[in-house]
Amino acid sequence: MTTRSMRTLRAALFVAVAAPTLAAQGGTSAAPRAMLIRNATVLTVTKGTLNNTDVLLENGRIARIGQNLTAPAGAEVYDGTGKYVMPGIIDPHSHMMSDAVNEGTLSVTSMVRIADVLNPTAPNVYRALAGGVTMINILHGSANTIGGQSATVKLKWGRPTSEMLVANAPPGIKFALGENVTRKGRNTMPGAPEARYPTTRMGQEEVIRDAFTRARTYQAEWARYNAAARGRNGAGVIPPRRDLELEPLVEILEGKRFVHAHTYRADETMMLLELATEFGFKVRTLQHALEAYKIAPEIRAAGASMSTFADSWGYKIEAYDAIPYNVAITVRAGVISTINSDSDERIRRLNIDAAKMMRYGGLTEDEALATITINGAWQVGLEARTGSIEVGKEADIGIWNGHPFSVYSRVERTIIDGEVFFDRQEDERQRAAMAAERAELERAEPNTAPAPRGGQRPGTPGGNR
Amino acid sequence: MHLLSCATTARLATLTATLAVTLAPPLGAQGDRPTPSTYAITNARLVPVSSAPIERGTIVIRDGLIVAIGASVSAPADARIVDGTGLTVYPGLIDAYSTLGMRAPAAGQGGGFGGGGGFGGGAPVARPAGAPNSTMPIGLQPEVRAFDQLVENSDFSAAHAAGITTALTAPSGRVYEGQSALISLGSGDFSAVAIRTPVALHVGFQGIGGGQFPGSLMGVFAALRQSLLDAQQYRTVHAAYARNPRAVRRPALDPSMEALQPVIAGTMPVVFRASTQREIERALDLAKEFALKPIIAGGTEAYRVVDRLKAANAPVLFSLNFPRRTAAPAAPAAPGAAAPSAEPEPIRVLRDRVQAPKTAGQLQAAGIRFALQSGGGAYTEFLPNLRRAVEGGLAADAALRALTLGSAELLGAADRLGSLEAGKIANLTVVRGDLFASDARVTSVYVDGRPQTIAAPTVAAGPGGPGGPGGPGERRPGLEGAWTMTVELEGVEKQATLTISTMDDRLVGRIEGDFGSTEVAEVVVMEDGTVRFGVLLTMKETSEEALFRGKLTDGVFAGTIDMIGHASGRFAGLRVASTTQER
Amino acid sequence: MRPSLKTSFTAMLAALVTPAALVAQLGSPNPLPGPQGTVAIVNARIVPVSGAVIERGTLVMSGGKITAIGANVAVPAGAQTIDGVGKSVYPGMMDAATQMGLTEISQGAAPTVDNNEVGSFNPNAIAYYAMNPHSAHVGVTRVVGVTHVLSHPSGGVIAGQGTLANLAGWTPAAMTIRQRAVLVITIPRAGGGGFGFAQFGGGGGANAATAQRTREAQVDSLRAMLADARAYDKAVQANAATANVRLAALVPYVRGELPVMFVADAAADIRTAVEFAAAEGLKAIIVGGREALRVADLLKEKNVPVIFTQLRAMPGREDDPFDVNFATPGQLASAGVRFAMSAGDDGPQVRDLPSMAGMAAAYGLSREDALRSVTIWPAQIMGLGDQLGSLEVGKMANVVVTDGDLLEARTLVTHLFIDGRPVPLDSRHTVLFETHKDRR
Repeated sequence: MTTRSMRTLRAALFVAVAAPTLAAQGGTSAAPRAMLIRNATVLTVTKGTLNNTDVLLENGRIARIGQNLTAPAGAEVYDGTGKYVMPGIIDPHSHMMSDAVNEGTLSVTSMVRIADVLNPTAPNVYRALAGGVTMINILHGSANTIGGQSATVKLKWGRPTSEMLVANAPPGIKFALGENVTRKGRNTMPGAPEARYPTTRMGQEEVIRDAFTRARTYQAEWARYNAAARGRNGAGVIPPRRDLELEPLVEILEGKRFVHAHTYRADETMMLLELATEFGFKVRTLQHALEAYKIAPEIRAAGASMSTFADSWGYKIEAYDAIPYNVAITVRAGVISTINSDSDERIRRLNIDAAKMMRYGGLTEDEALATITINGAWQVGLEARTGSIEVGKEADIGIWNGHPFSVYSRVERTIIDGEVFFDRQEDERQRAAMAAERAELERAEPNTAPAPRGGQRPGTPGGNR
Repeated sequence: MHLLSCATTARLATLTATLAVTLAPPLGAQGDRPTPSTYAITNARLVPVSSAPIERGTIVIRDGLIVAIGASVSAPADARIVDGTGLTVYPGLIDAYSTLGMRAPAAGQGGGFGGGGGFGGGAPVARPAGAPNSTMPIGLQPEVRAFDQLVENSDFSAAHAAGITTALTAPSGRVYEGQSALISLGSGDFSAVAIRTPVALHVGFQGIGGGQFPGSLMGVFAALRQSLLDAQQYRTVHAAYARNPRAVRRPALDPSMEALQPVIAGTMPVVFRASTQREIERALDLAKEFALKPIIAGGTEAYRVVDRLKAANAPVLFSLNFPRRTAAPAAPAAPGAAAPSAEPEPIRVLRDRVQAPKTAGQLQAAGIRFALQSGGGAYTEFLPNLRRAVEGGLAADAALRALTLGSAELLGAADRLGSLEAGKIANLTVVRGDLFASDARVTSVYVDGRPQTIAAPTVAAGPGGPGGPGGPGERRPGLEGAWTMTVELEGVEKQATLTISTMDDRLVGRIEGDFGSTEVAEVVVMEDGTVRFGVLLTMKETSEEALFRGKLTDGVFAGTIDMIGHASGRFAGLRVASTTQER
Repeated sequence: MRPSLKTSFTAMLAALVTPAALVAQLGSPNPLPGPQGTVAIVNARIVPVSGAVIERGTLVMSGGKITAIGANVAVPAGAQTIDGVGKSVYPGMMDAATQMGLTEISQGAAPTVDNNEVGSFNPNAIAYYAMNPHSAHVGVTRVVGVTHVLSHPSGGVIAGQGTLANLAGWTPAAMTIRQRAVLVITIPRAGGGGFGFAQFGGGGGANAATAQRTREAQVDSLRAMLADARAYDKAVQANAATANVRLAALVPYVRGELPVMFVADAAADIRTAVEFAAAEGLKAIIVGGREALRVADLLKEKNVPVIFTQLRAMPGREDDPFDVNFATPGQLASAGVRFAMSAGDDGPQVRDLPSMAGMAAAYGLSREDALRSVTIWPAQIMGLGDQLGSLEVGKMANVVVTDGDLLEARTLVTHLFIDGRPVPLDSRHTVLFETHKDRR
């Protein structure tokens, strides 16, 4: 079920219907209808598992958790008997819904922004919702040592970009190390005449060092200007040129922008952690980090976290030492760890990926759940707002027909900020509706077959196509 | 900044005409007949647009201007009389965005794709013509002007056949396409045809190619932002220098920065190519960030963002290039039948086709200002689509206004163009019957007071259409339609169907099949015919951005695929059979 | 629960080989299985697949075969006994479409990739000869309970022959169940217009007409080769043939004695393959099968099974329901089409097979059928139905003991037997885990 029909769904359920084809997407809709989920098994992640418990969602928040709650007037009552309620799944590494992923022409592209190229109508958004995912961190690709600014997005299918971007989410940026950046065997960007620097891990260190050195110079320049502007001759001072490449790097130095660094091999990870320490910032997440298990104590000491695959390995040389016990080791060493997908396919089954962490290394159920919920929220700086089922948090919820760690389970509903964006029954109903609509649309004049090729068209314009 | 005021233009025209008569050899010696400069169309229905229609009247034009119009106007003695019985005279229709009269991009030599290991060496890809002495790379030069690229004596016959006498024309570029000019579609060199220049700065959203920054849409936005910030900085620095040049090193003089000054001051509007909701939103966001005056060109999904358009007071140059079906619909498979030849189209595509003729009416109802443009479509479809829009809910007089006076207003030339009023430029469209009737026919157009012969209606060719120079055929070398692609990545062959279609004046696409279904935001055709696009492919467990680039040769669309972290792959595609009779 | 060094055989092995040596090589010597002895798993929940679940029973294996199963089975004297309380016993799973052992690292390490021979017609390229028993993929796959696979080459028109192998054994011969098990054919794509690269004559100077002619020529070559093989077969029987390795390779397949796997996902391609096989007298199996449902009637009519590798493929069309591929196995079962589930992976992710089968059960396939689709059904499709795929007396003792549902992602395998030999549960991954886990 895709774009327009989902919009029709929501119109039918909650909001006064506008003509479906004219669904104007301007502002936010009215506050969502309250929902009382009754008698479910609630996996709070942070406060244990609660049996036979009710959860009340109101005004986009988790309003109450308890037993035998009363539904407020007008609320939908959802029978959660036999169902499992868990926080919406968070994917800290995605390239979904973007009209561009890489700006691969330069080694440092900190000036580009994923937020500029988001495509909220990509059908894979809906398919991720069907897997219980509510929020993703969309990253620039791994073409460059320093890539572009990331975007934290809630999968509000049918809404415009402005409503999907999480308001006031801390900003982030992508770095990348290793084989993708050095591009051995294919060093040139399409159309470019020569290999792009760097082609070794040595060069990657130099690129980062140089970028932050320039950033420091820029930072100092602006500090001098700001001081001068406040002084007696303030009015006459001309500010330095604003440089969109260096500004995000200054934000990193000032601790205002999260670094999400794609890295595989342990030694290149150490390079980045040491360099960050030298320049006085922390790396927020190490992405993929398939060898994190070899340097877990060092990652912990550097104050970094990691986000990795559950069990992908062996597909390239730097992934050959990957093990599914990676997360178990880093968790035991005290490193905040998450499972990510980096894939429109894999995002649909992150629940099973997290379940695997119980078999590979013995994480507890809550520890494993945390790898796809609250830890991911922390990694994008939103742990106070979402990622667990606690009163006051944003109502980002998945309702499952069985334990989410069972391969036999599937999602019944995915709720974001208290609104339903996926409902299995509604999805079924829409299939028939779409088939009927298709039949009708096929008959409409603009969709009828063109004149046979080579045939003469009647002279009257406007008569046939 | 105007090169010449209109009054000067008129005087210059008169002067030129006088000189021509004075200096020409004696008539008899060459056998020339002088062409009349005064015409009177009598007994016609006149639709001035600026006032009520005149059911039967006369319009007199002389030396390129309208001299008189009215029910009781009589033809002057020197006028060539044209019997207007059964005819309707409108102000000349304006195509609010085209590439008419622009120099065709230089044919490329090499560059493009190669085999195996990526794109090394070779000649650089041909680019649009660049501005001299620019500090910015080609594609990022706001100082490029349509006026400088006008080609003498271009063939405008296809536009004339659609009743179009005037057009906004802009160079095609990548990021900053250049500054457009409003031109009369007549013969003569650039100084004769230009009505107003520059009109606006045009922004496309394509990477500049050649492995240079910006290559992606993200890079384009960053480059735009940085250049606008730099323009603001330039203004500050130069203003300070102007106040006190002593003891300060002179700041650099930069033609690109100069060209951006009226843009950041809000005195020159910026036309953004934008079709989908998200593209329109992005353009409006950028305009808001820098206090620009936005105009949206294309606007297929403008109906989804009327609130934002109104809030930004942004007019739309709305494209009449409605999407159309290029292949027969998939036949339901009968038992034992041959395999269906065409894939069913996404319901979104079917909906968009039905929506297209309704959009203009919806914009009108919402109070959005708009003009109409050809959108790169074949001119043979211009009037038919106009009529579809009227059938779809656009009021006929609003449609006419959007082609004439309303368009002139948006393009800053309403004082001299766009209605049948004495003193205005004599661009006229003459139709047998009513323009909006399905059996109407354009019998003649007058451009700067000269009648233009209209060619007999021709059968439109296949996708891409003839369009004429600057029309779509040139820019989309037969790419529209469905292609069955074989893709080879790391020794594994996969299959997908790539469907390319037009959205306004650009190409978009979708891929379906072994990689799942995914949208191609834009298919770019370079000047040398190389076709490139980027798309997120999902194979097994991973999603990777793949950059396709190739060429269409002999019915095969083939080339290479670049993906980060993978060796180069290759693809080859053939058209999906479009009727069940085939093969 | 962490994997622990449970069996005495593994402990012995651990003493012999240091972790450093194990991880230093590309691929790892997967621990050697122990000898075939007599083993009884008592008081366990036994899931034979071929019959009803035995809630509490005993399974005995001896000399590589299952010798007894039941609720009240006596434990033979001298048997090693495994306490099955709280455990489940399953037949080992099978993946019938892998490239196990043929590649080690698929990107960026081309010398480790041996799955695709040059040229379009390679009937005599047999997986057996490139299968590396010490591939790290072997070890990490078997420890989840996938005990035997078909490993096959890919590419071209006739890619070669696949080999059926147990995932245990020091040499290819020791692993192999059947060296020449299937022929793998990809028919140059039919109706719909897709064309393989070979048909573009190498890519340069190609055009639509050339591609069409090349494709037809390739299909003709395939037919001709099969006809030659039939003629060769006759000639051999009449002692009138000159030896020909390639034609000889094709003989069992043209006779219909062994099956031919046709790689096909699109409905048109599946249809073409089934019709081609019928015309040529080949015993067909479809591998891939993403659009098999659209051709269900034909598949059923011709009794062609499908090895379904596309569960996790993204929906191929924009308007497809989100679960179109998840739901296909359930719908194939309802439609009466024979099939097996496969990960469709070259090696590292074959271990995800149980999760895939389980997911199919979330979307309409019954849990019992999900289990069958990775045990008895692939065995039957591959002609091994009498040897493997269920816990029955007389069958090969590929036995998996777990602490829960075999298809669940949280389940641990506690004991593993392949060909009646106990297999240590170590792999490259457990060794790396053990090496690094205690570092603080």
